[in-house]
Amino acid sequence: MILDRFAERVKTASLKEQRLIVLVFCLFSFDFCLLFAQSNLTYTLRVGTTGEVAVVDTFPEVYQAEKINIKVESLELKDERSRLVDSLQLIDFLFADRTIEGIEAWGEEVIRYTDTQDRGWIVWRKRQLPKNRQKKVLVQNAYQGFEQYVNNAVTVRRSTGWVWFVFAGLLLAGGIVLLTMQIIQRRREQHMTAVEQETLRRKRMGMRRHIGSQLYLWLLLLVLYAPIALIAVFSFTNSKILGNWTGFSMDLYRNLFTGQADAGLNSAIWYTVVIALIAAVCSTILGTLAAIGIYNMRARQRKVVSLMNSVPMINPDIITGISLFLLFVALGLSQGLATVCIAHVVFCTPYVVLSVLPRLSRMNPNTYEAALDLGATPAQALRMVMLPELWPGMLSGFILALTLSVDDFGVTFFTKGSGGLETLSTFIYSDARKGGLTPELRPLFTIILLVMLTALIIINLRNKKQEN
Amino acid sequence: MSKLVQIFSSRRTWAWPYILFMALFVVLPLVLVGYYALTDINGQFTLRNFMKFFSHSEAIQTFLYSVMIAVLNTLICLLIGYPAAYIMAQEDFRTPKVMAMLFILPMWINFLLRTVATVELFNMCGLPLGEGALLFGLCYDYLPFMIYPIYNTLQKMDNSLVEAAQDLGANRWQSFWKVIVPLSMPGVYSGIVMVFMPTVSTFAIAELLTHNNIKLFGSLIQDYITTTDLLNYGAVLSLVLLIIIALTSFFGDHDGAGEEKGGLV
Repeated sequence: MILDRFAERVKTASLKEQRLIVLVFCLFSFDFCLLFAQSNLTYTLRVGTTGEVAVVDTFPEVYQAEKINIKVESLELKDERSRLVDSLQLIDFLFADRTIEGIEAWGEEVIRYTDTQDRGWIVWRKRQLPKNRQKKVLVQNAYQGFEQYVNNAVTVRRSTGWVWFVFAGLLLAGGIVLLTMQIIQRRREQHMTAVEQETLRRKRMGMRRHIGSQLYLWLLLLVLYAPIALIAVFSFTNSKILGNWTGFSMDLYRNLFTGQADAGLNSAIWYTVVIALIAAVCSTILGTLAAIGIYNMRARQRKVVSLMNSVPMINPDIITGISLFLLFVALGLSQGLATVCIAHVVFCTPYVVLSVLPRLSRMNPNTYEAALDLGATPAQALRMVMLPELWPGMLSGFILALTLSVDDFGVTFFTKGSGGLETLSTFIYSDARKGGLTPELRPLFTIILLVMLTALIIINLRNKKQEN
Repeated sequence: MSKLVQIFSSRRTWAWPYILFMALFVVLPLVLVGYYALTDINGQFTLRNFMKFFSHSEAIQTFLYSVMIAVLNTLICLLIGYPAAYIMAQEDFRTPKVMAMLFILPMWINFLLRTVATVELFNMCGLPLGEGALLFGLCYDYLPFMIYPIYNTLQKMDNSLVEAAQDLGANRWQSFWKVIVPLSMPGVYSGIVMVFMPTVSTFAIAELLTHNNIKLFGSLIQDYITTTDLLNYGAVLSLVLLIIIALTSFFGDHDGAGEEKGGLV
């Protein structure tokens, strides 16, 4: 009701009023953006000391820092459960001889252990330190030189205003274009007859709806793709941290392809591929056989088995992972590659079954029996009669299983054991918990994205050709 | 020998390996969750784990908070996803296939990496990491699961019904609320289920998005289950989650949900 009335009001608004609305909107959004441009990121630089590090306030007026050389023998961080610290995303260690100008490396949130010869800074981002944990940082065996720098706090501002300035500029430009378009249209309208005006208005209403809906979808996609674009853009620079541009460079791509990347990453890639292939092959075979069996069952049996089939699909991955973890614990199996593969087959097979079943119902059920009657063995009949018919369903099931396996995190996490087996997902997780992301992940996923994009475009073009 | 051949030529038996496999690796593990929940560390029967849960205020609070976040996220996804699905299902929309693909494409990038990138994006814009970031990240990850089923039902909908409503004098608004929305309810239900279930059980995303400041139920379970002497208590928490999941899947049409999910990738 209210909306209706509001729409009516806008429709009947005079030209002047409409212009005013647009203008107010533009100014408002511009202001809003400027407001955000003011809020800069603050980093706190702090030199550690032996014992507990106290919470420090930021000093916005202090912009520069002295160059401090620190020798650290070992650095150990603990949180309250005295587990490894990787859940504390906290400290960065900027190495040797970097002056304060080397800000490009700031904000790296990596906990590093350095050898005795290393000198450097200890930095953390204040805003990212959970309040209750700020005090729980222990720096042990620090060099005596630390002591004189106790309570030395330096704040550095990293301006992020440009993001909002660009945004504000775009909004303002959009507003101006809209306004001028409206003015031009109104001018044109004045020389028209009433009927012409009416048809034009109708057309414009449709247009407006069309533009509005397109705008909505594209805005949504813009937000959806923003983080991905960030990954893609920053794959072309060699800074260690996402979000720091240190100049164009293809180093990361080179590292990825020459195997110079982190050893953990390389093994994670291999494990991911191997596990996905094993799981997909096993689940395709198992699932196809099961689908044939289920298809030939009586209705009641079929219902029971289909229900069982849907359980792993409905279960969230954490439940699947935990229940399998408990099973492996109860059976006393040591967890590793085998258990991860079994777990992946568990959640992949139902999808294979579901993609093969429709193929079966499309097939003539008598051909298989005809083959048997004509003297084929069941194996021959399966290979020469069934398989050619089921092939597309099996293939899509296989691809689905591959994707699910590569993408999985929850199940792998609980079944991988502690033997150091990591797939890409779990590798990223443990990496992110440490605070830093292995930079070679950026080019890796940029390439995956590009490959998928080209595949999609090719499929689309082919479909269009077929339609024509 | 001939009997053996007969058994194998009856295709019904071909499902037996799968049924055995499922019994061992799907049904038995779920039974084990219940078993571990009802026993103590020495394998003795006990209800103490359940009692501990009901007197453990942190666990209950986390649980309620997680459910609240999941409901909120589902609502946001619905509010954002429904218009998108509706627009894509319009007859005069020329490229629905491409658009649907574009919405799915981000899912090919590992979701943890996307989450880390989201965190960095928030940092670049100077936005604080907290509940807002958590909701943004969750919505970002699960939005396609909402758009897809709704889009599917809207697309299959008979458009002549809408035209009939308009011929009979309903305006756009009325025909939307009285015809289109009720007809798209199956899609909405399966969308809700497909967003709610993974959100309520999520455990890694929240940790990364809020720098461990906000703990969801999934993370709590993860903490307990990976600690050897608290494993039985972790099983209780998993059981609680399992009950929620079971309730939700009764709410939605599960056969349909599975197919929809299968068609996604």
